Amino acid sequence: MKTKKSYAKPNEFNTLELMAVCGSKQIKNGEVVFIGTGLPLIAAMLAKKMHAPGAKIVYEAGFIDSNAKEIALSIADSRLGYRAAGAVGLIETLGFMLQGGHVDLGFVGAAQIDEYGNINTTYIGSFEKPSVRLPGSGGGNDIISSAKRIVVIMTHEKRKMVKKLDYLTSPGFLNGPGARERIGLLGGGPSLVVTNLCQMDFHPKTKRIRLTTVHPGVSAQQVLDNSGFDLIVPEKIPTTELPTYEELELLRAIDPSGIYIPRTK
Amino acid sequence: MEAPVEDKRITLKEAVNLVQDGAHLFWGGFGFQRPPMAFAHELVRQKKRKLTIYTCGSEVDIDILSGACVVSRFELAFFAIEGIGLVPNIQRRIREGVIEIEDYSNLAMALRFLGGALGVPFMPLKSMLGTDLLAKSRFRPKKAEVINCPFTGEKVVLVPSVRPDFSIIHASRVDREGNAQIDGIRGEDIEGARAGKKVIILAEEIVDSEFTRAQPDQTVIPNIYVHHVVECPWGSYPMMVYNYYDYDMEHIRMYYDQCKTEEGWQKYCEEYITSVGNHMEFLTKIGIERLLKRKAKKPLPY
Repeated sequence: MKTKKSYAKPNEFNTLELMAVCGSKQIKNGEVVFIGTGLPLIAAMLAKKMHAPGAKIVYEAGFIDSNAKEIALSIADSRLGYRAAGAVGLIETLGFMLQGGHVDLGFVGAAQIDEYGNINTTYIGSFEKPSVRLPGSGGGNDIISSAKRIVVIMTHEKRKMVKKLDYLTSPGFLNGPGARERIGLLGGGPSLVVTNLCQMDFHPKTKRIRLTTVHPGVSAQQVLDNSGFDLIVPEKIPTTELPTYEELELLRAIDPSGIYIPRTK
Repeated sequence: MEAPVEDKRITLKEAVNLVQDGAHLFWGGFGFQRPPMAFAHELVRQKKRKLTIYTCGSEVDIDILSGACVVSRFELAFFAIEGIGLVPNIQRRIREGVIEIEDYSNLAMALRFLGGALGVPFMPLKSMLGTDLLAKSRFRPKKAEVINCPFTGEKVVLVPSVRPDFSIIHASRVDREGNAQIDGIRGEDIEGARAGKKVIILAEEIVDSEFTRAQPDQTVIPNIYVHHVVECPWGSYPMMVYNYYDYDMEHIRMYYDQCKTEEGWQKYCEEYITSVGNHMEFLTKIGIERLLKRKAKKPLPY
């Protein structure tokens, strides 16, 4: 019997919806969560409607414990002020809250990521003569430096999953185990990478990236074919937990006009 | 007895005229929120050159300044047009080699302003460690430094404080003596307003000092820091001001699409900036109907 809690069939949702649900599951009730716009925003709004109504969503521009009811386009968007607990500034969000040790989880995006979870959001090409100038760190470096856990959401392409970054904007596990601690970083580093093909975490001992689940219809080989770095592939790889009908219904109500999740398969 | 109210009001044109070529500016607002757009337009009209801008993150406003070659250097953490993509003019000017960027993180920039405001030469933080933000610098002889804390021995990054020639901030309301109120988020404007050697406050409304002095707890930038005050309604259009108006995504998207080519940018610049004489003419060109459609619908702040 089909109920709200039963899993949808793979042809009943699109990949972005699955990614948003994967992201939302990382948010625990009561946690302080730093997020940006795009899929993380949708993921956080979903988590608050599902299992984590007490999660406190913080935007670095200054909105604290936001309860936005409309989709925001900017992290400074006035929409995020709706029933927020506070409207402050960066010294408070990135300084007092984040560096002060109050942030449990942060969501970030990436143009490139390497096998230790280091991230580039600044330049493609050489530093001396870059071919593309990306947006830069913003608060990304601060969040990855100091939040207890980090979830990376990005598209899975060979040119993005690289052996060597063009520019290291934000620190993953740097060059391996113990490097973050040695260099003086406060936060715990990346814990999960969610892509359009799979989910990956980091091996607890080697801190190297490891395949954890593949999305429905995706094979481990397909993930490897689209990765430029060495990926640890365990013998058994489960399929990513599918979204429920309830999650999909809520997601579509959160973004009814498809600003971040267009209604395509 | 109270002293008579000092009147610091000047026009936008006069305010921009104070800025010399080569000046260093703190640039207020954050992302879509309260950028000094009208000030950017007037800098273009007055053909200012070789400015250095310090900010955490800005979008269409600093792309316009880049397109018109007003700015040659940025020290910042972020620029893009959120929800759309990369900023088109900056991208082109970097390729042409006429703009240089020194990258920091948002917290690093905010602390650099706080350091300037506090009158100390640097500030410590726990970001940037282990990354190219530390290892690579574009034009600063010294961009940041890692030291062991003299008290605890732990590693911290030091970043240089900033004391720019001017701080340019678009506030919600200000009185004629410079007491400014900001609704919604403040970004890095509280620190930035205290870091500049000269502070220019633009605001959606000029209010009577009776209004600000009846609620002194709402003043986030008090008069003693402020040198000049400019009345500038819709001064952040097509971006947003909390409690005043929403962004105009159609205009922003048109800007983005058109500025993908140099010709398109030149056309935009002429049509919306250089061929209109001042900010009021710009607003007239946008049109009352279009502006009023974006007016904040209370109790929502947008």
